[in-house]
Amino acid sequence: MRSAAAIGVLAATAISLGALRAQAPSAESRSVWDGIYTEEQSKRGEPIYHKECAACHGDMMTGGESAPPLTGGAFLANWNGLSVGDLFDRIRKTMPQSAPGRLTRQQDADILAFMLSMNKFPSGKTELYRQSEMLKEIRFEAKKPAAKN
Amino acid sequence: MRQRKSNALNKLSLLAFIVSALLPAAASAQYSPKPTEWPSYAADLAGTRYRPLDQINASNFNDLEIAWRIKTDNFGDRPEYKLEGTPLMVNGVLYATAGSRRAAIALDPATGELLWIHGEHEGKRGGAAPRQLSGRGLAYWSDGKEERIFYVTPGFRLICLNAKNGVRVPSFGDNGEVDLKLNDDQEILPDLITGEIGIQSAPVVAKDTVIIGAAFREGMTPKSMRNNKGYVRGFDVRTGKRLWIFHTIPKKGEFGYDTWEKGSAEYTGNTGMWTQLTVDEQLGLVYLPVESPTSDFYGGHRPGNNLFGETLVCVDLKTGERKWHFQLVHHALWDMDISSAPILADIVVDGKPVKAVAQPTKQGFLYVFDRVTGKPLWPMPEKPVEVGSVPGEWYSPTQPIPSKPPAYSRNGVSIEDLIDFTPALREKAKEIVSHYHLGPVYTPPTVSKLEGPLGTLTLGTASGGTNWPGGSYDPETHIAYLFACNACVEPIGLVAAPKEVSDMNYVAGVAGREVEILHGPGENAGADSPKPPKKRAAGGGFTRLDVDGLPLIKPPYGTITAINLDKGDFVWQVAHGETPDLVRNSEALKGMNIPRTGQITYNIGTLITKTLVIAGEGNITTTADHPRGAMLRAYDKATGKEVGAVYMPAPQTGSPMTYMVNGKQYIVVAVSGGPYSGEYIAYTLPSAE
Repeated sequence: MRSAAAIGVLAATAISLGALRAQAPSAESRSVWDGIYTEEQSKRGEPIYHKECAACHGDMMTGGESAPPLTGGAFLANWNGLSVGDLFDRIRKTMPQSAPGRLTRQQDADILAFMLSMNKFPSGKTELYRQSEMLKEIRFEAKKPAAKN
Repeated sequence: MRQRKSNALNKLSLLAFIVSALLPAAASAQYSPKPTEWPSYAADLAGTRYRPLDQINASNFNDLEIAWRIKTDNFGDRPEYKLEGTPLMVNGVLYATAGSRRAAIALDPATGELLWIHGEHEGKRGGAAPRQLSGRGLAYWSDGKEERIFYVTPGFRLICLNAKNGVRVPSFGDNGEVDLKLNDDQEILPDLITGEIGIQSAPVVAKDTVIIGAAFREGMTPKSMRNNKGYVRGFDVRTGKRLWIFHTIPKKGEFGYDTWEKGSAEYTGNTGMWTQLTVDEQLGLVYLPVESPTSDFYGGHRPGNNLFGETLVCVDLKTGERKWHFQLVHHALWDMDISSAPILADIVVDGKPVKAVAQPTKQGFLYVFDRVTGKPLWPMPEKPVEVGSVPGEWYSPTQPIPSKPPAYSRNGVSIEDLIDFTPALREKAKEIVSHYHLGPVYTPPTVSKLEGPLGTLTLGTASGGTNWPGGSYDPETHIAYLFACNACVEPIGLVAAPKEVSDMNYVAGVAGREVEILHGPGENAGADSPKPPKKRAAGGGFTRLDVDGLPLIKPPYGTITAINLDKGDFVWQVAHGETPDLVRNSEALKGMNIPRTGQITYNIGTLITKTLVIAGEGNITTTADHPRGAMLRAYDKATGKEVGAVYMPAPQTGSPMTYMVNGKQYIVVAVSGGPYSGEYIAYTLPSAE
């Protein structure tokens, strides 16, 4: 039997979560399935990817001897449950391997938008943010969640 | 010879017998490694990755706990996410390379305490290196009195350190270093700072010689048909003096020069040796696994068979003189670098003892030779292969195909290899591959065309089969254990390269995309300005090589195969690695009972002990049994049955090793990947209560 205090806490949490959901669209509840980049941004990212990343990660993101694939099950499993910000920061701080941090945040965001499109995450109306703290609020989920009510 | 009591050596005449079989004949004042140590990158100079230890076994593997762990984040200027090292443990100290600068570190093997660290600050030369990060390891040498550590920096300098304190040995080379870009029988172009040449593998020390190969950038889209060459050299372990050099691309007048027609040996490069070599100290012979020549997939600028590209070469340890060779692939077009150590195995074939060498490969063949004479143990007849039609290309009409052992992983692609969990998935896969040229092993690449073929779809090429971690070998049972990627699909298509981008006629690419020079790791920032984008044909040339996210190729995705070398037959083969999350959780496969599939990774090394085959997983999974992470698995080496598994927070990215110290056995493995930066983790059994 639950204590009244526990019920109170649960109720308060439910109410505040509900309040958050009622706002649209809220960063806290978003994932890679919510149209977090635009088609145009992905098209900007494509030539940057080919210039800066394809040498190691492959023309088709299938990976190669020096770098892993950026599409497919292994890639998705690596980031599943983490945030888009985690992936963005990893790119920003450590890639390309020869000169990490050389690309601008905007370029990194565009490349990431291209990667998201290659992984068949849907595009939307707003561009992918280039601020890490914004991207940290977006969940990376390998599996498409069940339809929301 | 230093005598050292070890209370770990409580095993007996059987152990002594094994020890004497493993060790080379002791030269005077030669350090002799103990079976409780791991004195060389691959355990020993034969490349066995085997130690006769059994304290950790099937009855207790699941009880392993973490003894210590060390992140490599702060050993360089930034964290690394691809830690590929295998440490050494010799004379009570653990040595490893670590960190983005490829520092050398020494640790207490029981506690992981840092004893010393040495890092070379190489500035631009390090930044321009074709092979970055901490690399795969280092080498140890002792004459019983002095102890030295050798490693090669990203900027391609051989460093000699006092193993006791990590300080450069002034009497070696130039105050403790040899500049490997010099004295290489060639001028490294364009200059010593940016000239492309390096190495990531561990040097090998045999008798009193340090042997170093060479590595280059990824060769899919070279800027030029011309590159520096990857000769192999032996240096004196005390003075650093160069003792010999082997020209992997022959110079004019040397044997094999005419296998590079139209004088192409003059300008073609690469053809290095970037993986581990092995040495038979008793015979005084070194076994060199040589890689591809310049341009992995297009050879129109280097007509001819191209010796010694993709060739196993045996040279004299003292002089570097070639004793025999066998070219595994004539006129390389599939990036089938010989990717791992040629394993030295003393076996018994048809009742006769043979000193053999067994070469695992990307193409899934294990080539077995008499290592004295170079004669194949089982026939490797030249068989006709498809001749392609890429303009300007030269094709070898035949390739040697080993008759035994059977291929241990897939090479070539046919409809039968495609996903078949359901007929619908198979049909989708057939549609995808209809855009590609398919065929058996050695089906040549095609020019990429929008209307098809986009290229040749391949398995057993760039990242197929066995890669740099190599195989393992049990000298007691004569069984080789080989990890292989069985589903690492690689499309190989060629596109014409504009003159501003490359002087080659063709480079790797897909029709419909602009051809950019694919910058390899280490290329100077700003060296190439962006090209204006080409007009894209509608639809481009991109087809996803998965089927609704599921792998295109059917399981098993990754395997470990046990091959009896006395007979050339398989003993067992198992899928290695938990079924990927995407497959296990797939809606399309709900309710189906799919046996464990193994994983699509190319870089898993195996460790053999008295009773176990030990290998970690290369992919992250999240299962009912463990949170997101990867498992270090142990198999019964006789049957392949899994007998235990322990959790790792990230995938195995360096091959595991083992040793005993203070009566306890440890297993150390490098993990990294995705969001997890590099870490060495040591496992041991819980202390007895």
